[in-house]
Amino acid sequence: MNEPQEFQPKIIAYVCNWCTYLGADLAGTNRLEYPANVRVIRLPCTGRIDFNLIVKAFEMGGDAVLVSGCHPGDCHYTAGNYHARRRWMLFRPLLEAFGIETERVHFTWISAAEGRKWQQVVAELTETTRKLGPYTGYREICEAKG
Amino acid sequence: MIATLRETCRQLLSDGKVDVVIGYGHDAAADGAEDAPVYPVFITKPEDAGRLVWNDRCHANLAVYLKHEEIRSLGRAAIIVKGCDQRSLVVLEKESQLDRSKIYVIGIACDGLDRPKCRTCDVHEPRGADVIIGHKAAGTGYPCAGGVPSANGTQGLPDTLPDDRYAELRAFLARPSAERLAYWRQELARCVKCYACRQVCPMCYCRRCIVDKNRPQIISTSATLKGNFAWHITRAFHLAGRCVGCEECSRACPMGIDLRLLNLSVAQAAEENFAFRAGDDPAAEPVIGSYAIQDKEDFIR
Amino acid sequence: MIWSAAIYRRFAAALRPFVNEEITGKKKKAVINHRSPKKNMARIGVFVCWCGENIARTVDVEQVASAAAEMPGVACAMTCKYMCSEPGQAAIRHKIAEEHLTGVVVASCSPHMHLRTFRKAAEKEGLNPYLVEMANIREHCSWVHQDRTQATAKAIDLVAMAVAKTRNDQALAPITIPLTRRAMVIGGGVAGIQAALDIADAGYQVALVEREPSIGGKMAGLSETFPTLDCSQCILTPRMVEAGQHPNITLHTYSEVESVEGYVGNFRVKVRKKARYIDMEKCTGCGQCWNHCPAKKNPSAFDYGLGQRTAIYIPFPQAVPARPVIDAAACLKLTKGKCGICAKKCQAGAIRFDDEERMVTEEVGAIVVATGYKLYSIEKKTGTAYPLPTAAGTPLPLSGYGEYGYGRYADVIDSLQFERLLSASGPTGGEVRRPSDGQVPKNVVFISCVGSRDNAKGIAYCSKICCMYTAKHTMLYKHKVHDGQAHVFYMDIRSGGKNYDEFVRRAIEQDGAHYLRGRVSKIVEQSGRLIVRGVDTLAGEAVTIEADLVVLAAAMCPSDGAETLAQKLNVGYDENGFLSESHPKLRPVETNAAGVYVCGACQGPKDIPESVAQATACAGKTLVMFSRQQLTREPEIARVDETNCAACFACVRACPYTAIERAEIRDRKGNLVKRTARVNPGLCMGCGTCVAVCPSKSADLAGFSEQQIYAMVESLV
Repeated sequence: MNEPQEFQPKIIAYVCNWCTYLGADLAGTNRLEYPANVRVIRLPCTGRIDFNLIVKAFEMGGDAVLVSGCHPGDCHYTAGNYHARRRWMLFRPLLEAFGIETERVHFTWISAAEGRKWQQVVAELTETTRKLGPYTGYREICEAKG
Repeated sequence: MIATLRETCRQLLSDGKVDVVIGYGHDAAADGAEDAPVYPVFITKPEDAGRLVWNDRCHANLAVYLKHEEIRSLGRAAIIVKGCDQRSLVVLEKESQLDRSKIYVIGIACDGLDRPKCRTCDVHEPRGADVIIGHKAAGTGYPCAGGVPSANGTQGLPDTLPDDRYAELRAFLARPSAERLAYWRQELARCVKCYACRQVCPMCYCRRCIVDKNRPQIISTSATLKGNFAWHITRAFHLAGRCVGCEECSRACPMGIDLRLLNLSVAQAAEENFAFRAGDDPAAEPVIGSYAIQDKEDFIR
Repeated sequence: MIWSAAIYRRFAAALRPFVNEEITGKKKKAVINHRSPKKNMARIGVFVCWCGENIARTVDVEQVASAAAEMPGVACAMTCKYMCSEPGQAAIRHKIAEEHLTGVVVASCSPHMHLRTFRKAAEKEGLNPYLVEMANIREHCSWVHQDRTQATAKAIDLVAMAVAKTRNDQALAPITIPLTRRAMVIGGGVAGIQAALDIADAGYQVALVEREPSIGGKMAGLSETFPTLDCSQCILTPRMVEAGQHPNITLHTYSEVESVEGYVGNFRVKVRKKARYIDMEKCTGCGQCWNHCPAKKNPSAFDYGLGQRTAIYIPFPQAVPARPVIDAAACLKLTKGKCGICAKKCQAGAIRFDDEERMVTEEVGAIVVATGYKLYSIEKKTGTAYPLPTAAGTPLPLSGYGEYGYGRYADVIDSLQFERLLSASGPTGGEVRRPSDGQVPKNVVFISCVGSRDNAKGIAYCSKICCMYTAKHTMLYKHKVHDGQAHVFYMDIRSGGKNYDEFVRRAIEQDGAHYLRGRVSKIVEQSGRLIVRGVDTLAGEAVTIEADLVVLAAAMCPSDGAETLAQKLNVGYDENGFLSESHPKLRPVETNAAGVYVCGACQGPKDIPESVAQATACAGKTLVMFSRQQLTREPEIARVDETNCAACFACVRACPYTAIERAEIRDRKGNLVKRTARVNPGLCMGCGTCVAVCPSKSADLAGFSEQQIYAMVESLV
């Protein structure tokens, strides 16, 4: 049983439709349990995921963001995930320069056959975020007036 | 040197090779006063070439004017660029914003204008110019504070390795993340969303900037911390692999926010990961929009 | 003034005292007096499925429906036991009509299951199908969480996101594209041949691409097949000949797929035809060349190294096409410029030493992949292509079974090699003889599960056919060597097909095969015999057998190059390299690449009846596609707002399908107004990479638009 006041992190996951979303479906088909803190937003490809979505997730009170797609070489659209990977390689240093906690932004490759990996990633991510606590840093920024 | 500059431009205009020269100059009324303010000027008549100047207040990156319709409609342009500004031309051409063959590039040798970027400058003589005014050996620029004479006798600037360009950034990144965030909270609290940084940047040429988009409104337009963070994160990232480090955004900011650090962080990532520096190689593919199968990272699980 | 969804909700709440509310049961129908609901407001219907117990056991579906009814833009919300059933779909259609719905959200299973179902239902009622969205509260919620409160809260959030997305949906119309009614089959084994014949018999042209010089695959090398003990070649070769002679089938043997471009209905495949050094038109297959070739000692791949062949050779007598090929590395003429006897002997003048490989391009509408399998590499020193390493830092699995001495001892062979010994056309003429000294073995040990079901070697799966063929091997051995004794070391016996278990019992009871339940730890050679040390777990004692021959049932792995081919085709594959089907139960032969189908052992270990069945299934899917008047494409593609586009062309660079072009907008006099990027709707596959790289967000993606995605995130406040 959870303690009554246990912090429930809010995790927003942007996943690609063909790999990670199906991997999460497979986790469901196999009844692999994981914490209920993740909200999945389905996109056709990680190539579609703009960095602003990550920022917006934090603006909306998210405590962690997960971005997940097909393994390199396996993108349903051949190269979308390569573009995404390049963007993230440039975006993470920017987040670091801002002092935004990159431990709260996770990137994974999860294929449609990796239901177990989805379960593991979500479970570990939830616990890590629970330990980090709510993302008060960014929330204060968003609530500051004028 | 200034005489050479003015004569070159006068010749270009009277020969009809160009219709407008974009350069640094004084107001028409100033007429020779040494300490008169320096503005970007657009000379269309040969006799006005005398308004052109070159001094330690010629900070502006004039490449920004090539995106303005009013300037383009004047006809074929000649543009005066320092080494740092010339990089902007390379990026703009790569992004189909200008046709290099249709502009005349007047490079001006510069030994530094006492800006942070000057301390690590490696383009005292602009590259890719149609003509270069001034010569390194002649020491025609202005000395940068704390400089030492270099091997070829130029006044002022040491030849430095690219690493030093990011020294300040690395020192900043060494601070704990909470401190960094606190720093930006403090700095960006002053931002009033005047968008001077956007106006002065040659790379910000979108007709309808993303911040002005309202369906959906991705970036809050208010000058709150939320809106300011969103804006500056976006702008810095949109400059990934495109910012040439002219530092005009920092200089133009009326609230004195040091935006350079943000642009440097992405520039460093581009250089470290993809060996790419904006404006160096006209043939290099921009980092965003291209990829390599071997792109190596250590944070994707 | 721009309002986020949060502010809108607060405004709506403030307005509530002025709103007439009719509370009927679980539905709230809010009627605001001064505005017409039809024109200005979205009217979305939310349908929450019980899915029997699958959802309702964990998620309080009634609570989800009540919460949904409060969401902005929702006109009605209801639950249903089985939304996908006839009555469920009828309920949706009824509501669409009764409530004048402008959008539908179904909260049930994964969109990959039933989005199409519900879109079709809506379309029948006159609602544009692209105004239908789903919230996955089964695979992503009720099936993976236990806590009812948390699961219900999550389900409500998922529905809120789906409603936000639907509010911003646009009506879209499908795009029609041309369709080439020709097929390509990659792989000429029994599965590939079956698929090619079925499609060709239906009247369509098929290009059959096979890497080896002849079609036939592994089955051409088998002796007899279970459970009938049919002669393998006798049942296969008529099929091979039929495929070779069929007017609608073009054989590209000794060829490989080089590249694949295009998309469903419009593939352009480049095939590299390797140099055979034979003029296929002139050659009659008389055999003079290979009968006189002096280079006789090359290991035969068809005999898995147990036999030899000449440099110019035909892989087996029944090869289709029955034409030889020259092994360039072994030919004296091609390597040293000497010999050339075959050319002298050839009466048809068909030898062409100057032959070169060439590329041909095939334009097809559908591709069937049937690349088959190979056996696991048992030798410890040679690494295997599979299984693939899973994640960086995970130690690679061990490879091979050095303790069995395969590759060191000549008399330790694998199952395909044993098939060649049994085969009448094999290197020993069908007599079972030891590779070392040619003696007839009197004691043969068969070891099952070499590689299969071994996590230490990274192969967790069962190869399915080995129990059956091992039993077959013991029977065929006994039929040939009457005084021989077969011993089988097994873990389990898996014989689940029709007449399969009876077959295994025959091997044990009638043909005297000695079955030992246990594994073998080591094989050592001693004075020409193989000492096999194993265990009999049912008797509870260690066992040592002096064998003359050991046959290892090695795991079935995908063929070499399957992974590369899959990447070219955009087909997924699992950690073992087997190609992934769309859905293991409901779509076993389709892949996630539209127009590409898989059959046979390349999709997973299976026997001949299953391979043939899957092949026919692939043909069926192909023929369904070809039977349509036209092919329609999903309209969830990108579009550029040409007024705002700054013509930086980052999208042109980024598009994986080069589907975006640089366009000019000119006025009537021909003066250039502006440049812009423009998406080709025939080529765009809807990945959205252009949207992410566009700095001004002039590019947008229908079905996953900026407006929709941000509305979804903002609904989570």
